[in-house]
Amino acid sequence: MEKVGCFLCTGCDIGSAIKTEGLEEIAKESGATAFVANECLCAPEGVEIIRTAIDSGELDGVLIAACSPRAKMDEFKFDLNKVAVERIGLRELVVWSHQPGDEDTQMLAEDYIRMGTSKVTKMELPKPPQEAIDQTVLVVGGGLAGLTAAKASAALGHPVVLVESTDKLGGYLLGVKDLVPERPPYDTTHKNDIQDLISEVESNDKIKVYKSAKIKKIGKQPGQFEAELLGGDSFKAGAIVQATGARPYDANKLSHLGFGKSPDVITSRQMETMILEGKLQRPSDNQMPGRVVFVQCAGSRDEKHLPYCSSECCLTTLKQVSGIRKDFPDVECAVIYRDLRAPGQLEHFYLGVQENSGGMFTRGEVDSVDTAGGKLKIHLKESLLGDEAVLEGDLVVLAVGMVPTSADGEAIRQLKDARARIEKKESDTQVAEGQKLEEQLKHHDGTEILNLNYRQGPDMPVLKYNFPDSHFICFPYETRRTGIYAAGAVHAPMDAAQAREDGWGAAMKAVQCIQAMNRSEAVHPRAGDISVADFFLQRCTQCKRCTEECPFGALNEDEKGTPEYNPLRCRRCGICLGSCPERIVSFPEYSVDAVASMLKIIEVPEEDEEKPRMIAFLCENDAYPALDEAAARRLKWNPWIRVIPVRCLGAVNVVWIADALSRGIDGILLIGCKKGDDYQCHYIRGSELAEYRMENVKETLERLSLESERVRVVELARDEYARIPELFEEFAETIEEAGPNPYKGW
Amino acid sequence: MTEEILPSAEFRAQLQKRGGATASRCYQCATCSSVCQLAPDQAPFPRKQMHYVQWGLGDRLAADPAVWLCHYCNDCTTRCPRDAKPGDVMQAARSLTVETLAAPRFMGKLVGRAKFTWPLLLGLPFAFWVIALYALNGLTIPEAPLVYDVLVPHWLIYVVFFPVTGLVLLATLISGLRFWTLIGKNQERSGSFIGTVIPAMIEVGVHSRFAKCGTAGSRRWGHFFLMWGFIGALIATTLAIVALYLIGTYPLPLDHPFKFVGNIAALLLLVGGIWLWINRLKGGEQSGTSTAFDNFFLYLVLLVILSGIFTEVGRFYFPPALACWIYIVHLTSILTMFATFPYSKFAHLIYRTLAMVHERMAELKASK
Amino acid sequence: MNAATQKPLLVVGAGIAGISAALEAAEAGQEIVLVERDPAIGGRVVRNLHYFPKLCPPTCGMEINIRRLERNPRVRVITGAQVTKASRSGDGWSVTLTHAPRYVNSRCTACDECSQVCPAKVPDPHNLLMLEVAAIRLPHADAWPRIYTMDRNACPAGCTKCVEACKFNAVNLDATEQTEELEFSAVILATGWQPYPIEKIEELGGGKIPDVIANVQMERLASPTGPTGGKIQKPSDSKPPKRVAFVQCAGSRDVKHLPYCSAVCCLASLKQAIYVREQLPDSEVTIYYIDRRAPGRNEDMLTKVAGMDGVKLVKGKVGKIEKGAQGLTLRVEDVESGKLTDAAADLAVLATGMMSSLKDAGLPFDIERDDDGFGLDNPRAGLFVAGVARRPEDVAASVRDATGAAAKAIAAAKQSP
Repeated sequence: MEKVGCFLCTGCDIGSAIKTEGLEEIAKESGATAFVANECLCAPEGVEIIRTAIDSGELDGVLIAACSPRAKMDEFKFDLNKVAVERIGLRELVVWSHQPGDEDTQMLAEDYIRMGTSKVTKMELPKPPQEAIDQTVLVVGGGLAGLTAAKASAALGHPVVLVESTDKLGGYLLGVKDLVPERPPYDTTHKNDIQDLISEVESNDKIKVYKSAKIKKIGKQPGQFEAELLGGDSFKAGAIVQATGARPYDANKLSHLGFGKSPDVITSRQMETMILEGKLQRPSDNQMPGRVVFVQCAGSRDEKHLPYCSSECCLTTLKQVSGIRKDFPDVECAVIYRDLRAPGQLEHFYLGVQENSGGMFTRGEVDSVDTAGGKLKIHLKESLLGDEAVLEGDLVVLAVGMVPTSADGEAIRQLKDARARIEKKESDTQVAEGQKLEEQLKHHDGTEILNLNYRQGPDMPVLKYNFPDSHFICFPYETRRTGIYAAGAVHAPMDAAQAREDGWGAAMKAVQCIQAMNRSEAVHPRAGDISVADFFLQRCTQCKRCTEECPFGALNEDEKGTPEYNPLRCRRCGICLGSCPERIVSFPEYSVDAVASMLKIIEVPEEDEEKPRMIAFLCENDAYPALDEAAARRLKWNPWIRVIPVRCLGAVNVVWIADALSRGIDGILLIGCKKGDDYQCHYIRGSELAEYRMENVKETLERLSLESERVRVVELARDEYARIPELFEEFAETIEEAGPNPYKGW
Repeated sequence: MTEEILPSAEFRAQLQKRGGATASRCYQCATCSSVCQLAPDQAPFPRKQMHYVQWGLGDRLAADPAVWLCHYCNDCTTRCPRDAKPGDVMQAARSLTVETLAAPRFMGKLVGRAKFTWPLLLGLPFAFWVIALYALNGLTIPEAPLVYDVLVPHWLIYVVFFPVTGLVLLATLISGLRFWTLIGKNQERSGSFIGTVIPAMIEVGVHSRFAKCGTAGSRRWGHFFLMWGFIGALIATTLAIVALYLIGTYPLPLDHPFKFVGNIAALLLLVGGIWLWINRLKGGEQSGTSTAFDNFFLYLVLLVILSGIFTEVGRFYFPPALACWIYIVHLTSILTMFATFPYSKFAHLIYRTLAMVHERMAELKASK
Repeated sequence: MNAATQKPLLVVGAGIAGISAALEAAEAGQEIVLVERDPAIGGRVVRNLHYFPKLCPPTCGMEINIRRLERNPRVRVITGAQVTKASRSGDGWSVTLTHAPRYVNSRCTACDECSQVCPAKVPDPHNLLMLEVAAIRLPHADAWPRIYTMDRNACPAGCTKCVEACKFNAVNLDATEQTEELEFSAVILATGWQPYPIEKIEELGGGKIPDVIANVQMERLASPTGPTGGKIQKPSDSKPPKRVAFVQCAGSRDVKHLPYCSAVCCLASLKQAIYVREQLPDSEVTIYYIDRRAPGRNEDMLTKVAGMDGVKLVKGKVGKIEKGAQGLTLRVEDVESGKLTDAAADLAVLATGMMSSLKDAGLPFDIERDDDGFGLDNPRAGLFVAGVARRPEDVAASVRDATGAAAKAIAAAKQSP
């Protein structure tokens, strides 16, 4: 921006802790065209000064040097289409966290004014994408969750296309007689109402249903998805709900429990069919069994099979016991469980079923089911009826868990890449590696569901245990594909009641995504952001880092490997900006240039002044707020460190490290979120990528005979404010030990 | 060792009928065991027994001393988070175990189903006395001053009661041995039986376990009086025989010291019986849920006590005919009580005592 | 195309469910009024140190949510206010909001000068009354809106120290209650939950023995912003406990207390076992349970904690806790071994359950409730319930539930004539 005003607040002790007289000159040297100091900038009178300057056209860029950008957000809200706004938290970064009146404190404040002003001069106004947005919600899967999502999206006013791969709607519930209670008093089963829902959906003129349909491909991006079905039909959609459900765990892997050895060992699905058909018979002789034994966690909560709990098997068994006792009161039902999981109000159901069935439930592990000689002998261990005990049964029901029907998009992509390598025959090792990979991954062949035209694979990436959600607690609908949401058992292990709710929730998200795009706004977590990335492709070297590293698959490639940016898939995390060695990616208000200008304007004292200078890049989501909190508690930290908030640690370009070091900065600290299985990065892979990139930077440093300790990546959670002073101090000590940056003064 | 789990549908059905249906609500949290003041640390109850009841494992219950160590305090029931009423379930288990261990089995069944069979259980002895007396002396009511011996000669009582007592003792012995063997299989014992019986009896005598009961603690004294009343009655009867044959006094005058012993016993029985009866009327967790099996026994005891007292009083104050009929009722109730001893709730006397002896001997073994 | 209704939607309660419902609807274009009784949003979640199973701080997600609220022009957040009247009007609701007196207004910069001079001390509700704080203060460290609050009743007569200390003229001791009338298309009740009172669990020493605490208290003890600065210690002598016992289903799954399962306590205790073990490496943790309820992928957390050194899981519900010379004695049957034990512990944490606040929130809506006090949706009246007001559930489920509730509320309001 060209007309930049620097507004200094002197309230909250800022005016008394630092000398403000020289700041105007510093701001102007750094590019400001106007400077105002006010003793309470956040008061209506103070805000009015800024607003007047903007409205009069006097300014197109504003630096508010006052409190943290996280404070007084409501007061300092301006029309970002008209003005670029940057805030520097002098109060938190300088005044509350350092010795007032100290020379170092003063230098710190001055540097922040320089950095802030300089950044604003490099900021630009956003250019929101103007794209035509289709309002349709595409629901894939016509089971309970999918039907509910379709109904809900239509009820929210959006047209819906529902694609079901079989010839019937209803999914799993078509084979079910009764349902686990969803209403008070929660103690008995309800009639299965799936037919009502099916007719509701089929008769809804907002919903177009395709049965026996498979998706051939889905092109483009959210808001503009172009779907094509096998067989020819094609349509547009704005967002997608994937509700493809789960399949039962393969009981053939449970031969130790007698499956496959005796026809009288069946799965809970088979039992469901028997109850539905009203024919409770032993498959071996078609006789009614005297005693049915239910084996819980058959292949679940088991490292050798499914390590997770499928959440609904206990409830299904309770339901089946109840169903059997209702229709066949003389049949005895025994249940062997490890932990009976009937959460919430379903405790009433557990009790109700126990009362009506006599309560033959015992805790224990089923070690094996002996099928020799007609009778089934269930061997228990560590049971409440004996450490080693045996029970006879006529029919054994294995309560098998659920496996999501998700396709692992990333694995499919890897498979495709491996085959391309084999085809290319560049070298023997390439071919060998390709073949090895192909062997490992070929079971993914033909598993595609959505067939997206994403460079990173045709389906949503999966996380732990193949569920495609992003494993957030606070944001359970977030996935790694913008505008595509999972619902029902493909989302997470769940029962029918939850699947119904999940359908509503996912529909809300799908509709919300379309609505946000109607307003040209980003979706979670930067909801409301109207800027998009700009790729200066002339300088692109087709290194493909951005297309590979984008956590959301926003970038495709053309044949040459040049990125094709899909702004509607973009979450504005800036990881592509961080990845690009050619610095071609920028956002209007967050660019390589803007941050580099901050680094370049820091005053680096001469070596003999013994005042090292360090930079700390802090993730604005967690680490920076923690810093604010440390300041609010008046914790003091090292004054030689300049803090720069970044969108994500993954949005730190290594060029900045080089820039800083070449300017004589002695050390660089990157503080971001936790990575790994329990990652806390809101962009999923940001902190992981930063760590990996910095490892490379360290290697480079060593080649330049610079100490690799000069760059350090640290994980800091949002609540770990108390660690900050020590963290900074320790880093400063490391840098002091390493000595001054030899490039100082160059 | 692999234990067999042998659920019995019949056993479960019976237990449910006898007040054990609430066991199906149990989810094995073990609150009951942990709040039970009587449960031994090494073999606590009633959590495990609740599980056996849920599964219909009559074989395991019959072999479990814990069933009898339970004094129906109901602290478990008060605290049970599922309202599964372990106290009642244990009571039901006891009643069914008496039947399981009974010798002969049909007698166990007969008394066990007292809800339906009580007219028979009381009617048969009554009919016996009426027919016997009619055959003997045409049921002629003697003149005042009333001497019961005229109506019912002592020899007749001996002829009836000595064989019945003998048979009952035999049946008790068989059941007791069965029980003793079964419980010994699950838990090893050591030490002398006789040497252990005595301290166990002393414990029973002072009712020290009952004293630990929380919820149903009030039952302690009723049971205490009743038990000592029975013991007193036994002593008084013995003394009466001594008086009759060694001293030659009959009938004893009211101020005779032996009579005094009998009257004290009657008073204890009366107080104890009424105490328990009132307790039962109050209902709730302090008394537990009454089943026909329990009621039959309590009413029988009350009948014995009241008819006994009125027999004594009636000798002096009632018209002879009334007094005589009361006496016949008294004899009837005593005969029923004697004959049903190993099959009614009375049998707890033997099972509980054995269980307590077993417990001591098992503890001794464990401590070695 | 517009997915929104004409009149705004009212969301009552700004805990995680209310915030989520409000945001998800607002980001879809719906006008929202989010009303919170407390002076800051966040409800119960901000009192937790970490979420299970990822052991991440709730403030991390709240940070994003607060930014979403700040940025979104369609959400109006009203803190310190309650719905005092509500009636059906047309196809929507006429609602009266009563704003508590705003003794500190939005000119407040959270500089803390007032708090420094305040002579009155009050028990801190954020810390479950375990800590004394100034009568004028930030509701808690991460409070949003970042405006101080004042317990006016605690002020000494005639004291004006805070008014004098405030350089920004933000304190007004004469503020009064205000009312406001608004029209809504539909209402989402997300009033959250209250912990089952520990005093009611007398048999386990609740409210009687100082070293018997509730899980919610443990959360504050372990929290750096809590009464002990994050040190897990015994309330009786402020020493770190060596043996910590977690007593599951303390008041839950119990017909004499709460007959339902509170759905989160097992995982909360597993999580707190990690707090204890990480902070006190010499400690021994025992978790006494009936069933280990860790559904879905939460199973991983159970596997992890069960495999940790120094942690034991024992099946058996504790029947009695007594205070002895050497700490606490827990009477419990180890169901697996079939033996009764008098287990010793220095600190016992009762996993007390959750009660729906709708039970006695005193709201002017005629909301149907189940026997346990949890609310039921009434689409015809445009009334929806989300979060733990509706059923016992964890944070992720609350958010899912609230997202769905937002859709249901908009859909119902759109469909009514």
